[in-house]
Amino acid sequence: MTTPSNTTRRALLKQGAALAFARTATPVAASLAAMANAAAQTATDYKALVCIFLYGANDHYNTVVPYDLSTYNAYYAIRKGTVVTGPYEGIALTRASLAATALNAPLSGGRQMALNPQMTGMKTLFDAGRAGIVMNVGPLIVPTTRTQFDNKSVPLPPKLFSHNDQQAYWQSSFQTEGSASGWGGRAADLMLSGNSASALTCISVNGNALYLSGQETISYQMSTTGATTVNAIKGKSLFGSSACATALQTLMTQSGTHLLANAQTQITLRALNTYDSVSNAIGASASTALNNLFPTSGTNTLSAQLKMVARLIEKQAALGLRRQVFMVGMGGFDLHDFLPDQHPALLQKLSDASLEFDNAMRYLGTSSQVSSFTASDFGRTLSSNGDGSDHGWGSHHFVMGGAVQGGQYFGQAPEIGITHNAQVGSGRLLPSTSTDQLGAELARWFGVSTTDLPAVLPNAKNFDLNKLGLFKA
Amino acid sequence: MPLDTTDTVAAAHQSADTPRPSSSNLAFMAAAPSALLAACGGGGSSSPSPAPNPTPTPTPVGLTPEQASRFLGQAAWGANPTTLKALTDQGMNTWLTQQMAMPPSQSMTAWLIEKGYNDATVSGNINGDGGWTGAIWNKLFTAPDAFRQRAVLALSELFVVSTLGLPISWKNFAIANYWEVLEKNAFGNFRSLLEAVTLSSAMGSYLNMKGNQKANATTGRAPDENYAREVLQLFTIGLYKLNTDGSLQLNAQGQPIETYDNNDIQGLAKVFTGWDLAAGTDPSGNLASLAYRQGLPMALNASLHSPEAKSFLGTVIPAGTLGAESLRLGLDALFLHANTAPFIAKQLIQRLVTSNPSPAYVDRVAKAFVNNGNNVRGDMKAVWTAVLLDTEARSASSSTSFGKLREPMVRLVQWGRTFGATNADGLWTLGNTNSDTALNQMPLYAPSVFNYFRPGYSPPNTALLQARLVAPELQITGEPSVVGYVNYMAGTVNNARVVKVDYTTEKALAATPANLIDHLNLHLAAGAISAANRTLMTQAVTTIAATTDAGLLNRVYAAIVMVMSSNDYLVQQ
Repeated sequence: MTTPSNTTRRALLKQGAALAFARTATPVAASLAAMANAAAQTATDYKALVCIFLYGANDHYNTVVPYDLSTYNAYYAIRKGTVVTGPYEGIALTRASLAATALNAPLSGGRQMALNPQMTGMKTLFDAGRAGIVMNVGPLIVPTTRTQFDNKSVPLPPKLFSHNDQQAYWQSSFQTEGSASGWGGRAADLMLSGNSASALTCISVNGNALYLSGQETISYQMSTTGATTVNAIKGKSLFGSSACATALQTLMTQSGTHLLANAQTQITLRALNTYDSVSNAIGASASTALNNLFPTSGTNTLSAQLKMVARLIEKQAALGLRRQVFMVGMGGFDLHDFLPDQHPALLQKLSDASLEFDNAMRYLGTSSQVSSFTASDFGRTLSSNGDGSDHGWGSHHFVMGGAVQGGQYFGQAPEIGITHNAQVGSGRLLPSTSTDQLGAELARWFGVSTTDLPAVLPNAKNFDLNKLGLFKA
Repeated sequence: MPLDTTDTVAAAHQSADTPRPSSSNLAFMAAAPSALLAACGGGGSSSPSPAPNPTPTPTPVGLTPEQASRFLGQAAWGANPTTLKALTDQGMNTWLTQQMAMPPSQSMTAWLIEKGYNDATVSGNINGDGGWTGAIWNKLFTAPDAFRQRAVLALSELFVVSTLGLPISWKNFAIANYWEVLEKNAFGNFRSLLEAVTLSSAMGSYLNMKGNQKANATTGRAPDENYAREVLQLFTIGLYKLNTDGSLQLNAQGQPIETYDNNDIQGLAKVFTGWDLAAGTDPSGNLASLAYRQGLPMALNASLHSPEAKSFLGTVIPAGTLGAESLRLGLDALFLHANTAPFIAKQLIQRLVTSNPSPAYVDRVAKAFVNNGNNVRGDMKAVWTAVLLDTEARSASSSTSFGKLREPMVRLVQWGRTFGATNADGLWTLGNTNSDTALNQMPLYAPSVFNYFRPGYSPPNTALLQARLVAPELQITGEPSVVGYVNYMAGTVNNARVVKVDYTTEKALAATPANLIDHLNLHLAAGAISAANRTLMTQAVTTIAATTDAGLLNRVYAAIVMVMSSNDYLVQQ
């Protein structure tokens, strides 16, 4: 493997950072490609990061729910309603429904939280010390108070509360479509030049996240069933003709002068050229043992995606990879309405899939080498729209894996209400932890040096990067 | 049987679809100072400047077959011998005029009822969407109002409602009705289109205006901001102030200027309160059933409409203004906003003609939006005509970036219409093509209100990005989907699915492969297959023995797959 010199590498990283659109703060997942590049250069071991994206903005108030009487009552007072749906009154969970998933980890001020009743799998991980909860994390450019927000006296992330922009913010430096090139793609370029098996360093098992722009297209996309190729090319026969199959391959992979055609060809070439190595490595289907470890994968897309991630991790040595980033995800979280109907099933899928993946990593012996975390567009309002909640800002997220200092909360638990100063109206949380602080700890665990960190996370310098303590020493 | 006979259907398809009366005043006199603007406080950005009538582009006389096919690829679903002849006989102006005058083809609601999808004893009818997939394939493969259907598909990617985000009963009917709303308004005025979209029950459910209520200070309940946010960001004005040519206005620091902030959204959210599914008498007693099955627009519950003053985008609707009036004023403000014309113009160009129109092209279409030549703003007929007859759309381009990647669902329909698709039982159970082992796309099946792809998407690590060019359709083009598409088509063109076509003409040509390739090149690719690739395909096809019927058909199948998988075809130039 060709390893660029440290100087070259840092220069490239800086070039990538310089290309970031001037007004963006630091994305988390987009910087993952840069992290992989920075870390893979010198690594001798294997590590992987798995980003689980919850598209549409997860309602964090009903995911990690206030449970001590005082804050529960404040939550209930705002979210209660007359319509009863299962354990919900309005969009408030009843306190009784939370008893089984209440968490016993200490929290300041006598606070206590419970997970959504469906999240028994996540509770198992939390109680076992292999999952922790990052409280009230979201995009910030600098630490920001309510007064500063109201007066706009500090720079704020652009287009707060907008789905595609905030997804892009979490994921890449693109923030208005097409108006600027992001460094997500540039960072992936770096990765491609720096890694031998570069095409498989970043893998999405959830398509091109449809309305994010950034590094994901450069990552290799695969479906939950494995790598696929054109049947006629693989079988060397198009309606009985090998000449036609050969011609088909030629036609699909031509380069010419037209830029749109060439971009199409780039994708096709990635698909056809990577198929053999991936399919040879992971085989046609998962082993019986892995299959059994993902019992919900038939009906749970996240479980199916994470099963594919597990199959790839199982074969990382054969594929010649030392650092990998995986993107998986599920949609349906934008529940302005139907929250009591729809949200529990989504959280159950997340919880089940997370537990299954943890089991699989322990089975493979890679539990301490693979860390996963949830991300989402933004948090939501505490106040109700009647049957759901509206767009917010800060949110709670899970960090999971054997390396995680689990069973605890990271950051500050926000007050519960719609008037306090840690929110900006309707209970939209003003983040007390920035995505940079989360990203920096993930990056350092992954192997990015302190020197390279500012280039990977340009706004990290504005924050205390040792605040959370996500990982075991 | 050729199914796209544009010249014989106008009389035959006078349907029962009388457009329902709109509460909105459709005649917006662009040249006259509007009393409305004064009432709105005359927000600086919403003044409709009188526009000179853009110079109409003369229609070239005597279209070549390739030119005609190219036009039909942009305006409809590609060409077959019948449609090609009709267009070359008529010319583009007449063709467009006739297509836009043609009433909408059979209503999907009527089709669904005819096929039994209103039978409440079948649970799949209440909870499933099989009726929709059948109805839309029937419509797209066979409806005679080809241009209207193409326009509606384009509008459905701008005003997105998706089956995936509708956890409601009777969604077949809700979605079908939404398609009909777009059909009825596609060639009307943008203002009435916007209102019909806003009040449709499907959109109400999708973006949560249905059941949206005024604030409650006690509970902290606030009006739902979702529709207000998306109608601004996606349906009318967009995030940043635009010049009339669609380019970004920049401030003194060289940065884009935001069109609104969250205060505007909260102000506008109040406008959209008080609406819910229409009530009525339904034999089943099921309100949702009634509203969705009968395609009723939402109705106002006056007591739930916000009585507060509503302030947004420089417009102030005074406290106490009633719901219908608030809605009228709110939608007027969006309609009259200076961004709306270029914002809509550019995206319609992108859907039909090219991903990267020149600013001058956007400007010409935007001007047609502002003023149709008779001082009417928002005349969609004028807008569509400007999109399709613009000199940039009509010129043969040697640019290395002109054109667009054909959308996968449009490619499939093009195959069906080129070769005369039929379906034996009339149910069109082709199913859902949304997976990446199929087309990675399905009408009204976008993953979110942000559509299948964003108008500003540019794939990283490409020369396109370096050139600051966009390619929206490439956002759903990934490793699984590029191979999934070819495999799907290879399993379709051989009549292996329920939708079948008639290859009588092509089989006769297959004895001479060059003739077959030329025929496909003209009708599928508008002559864009390069000479070298024509030779490559011809030689490959020749290797298939032509001594039997099966062999001739294999030549046809292989040739179609090669053409439809080639970049020469995939990029509609």
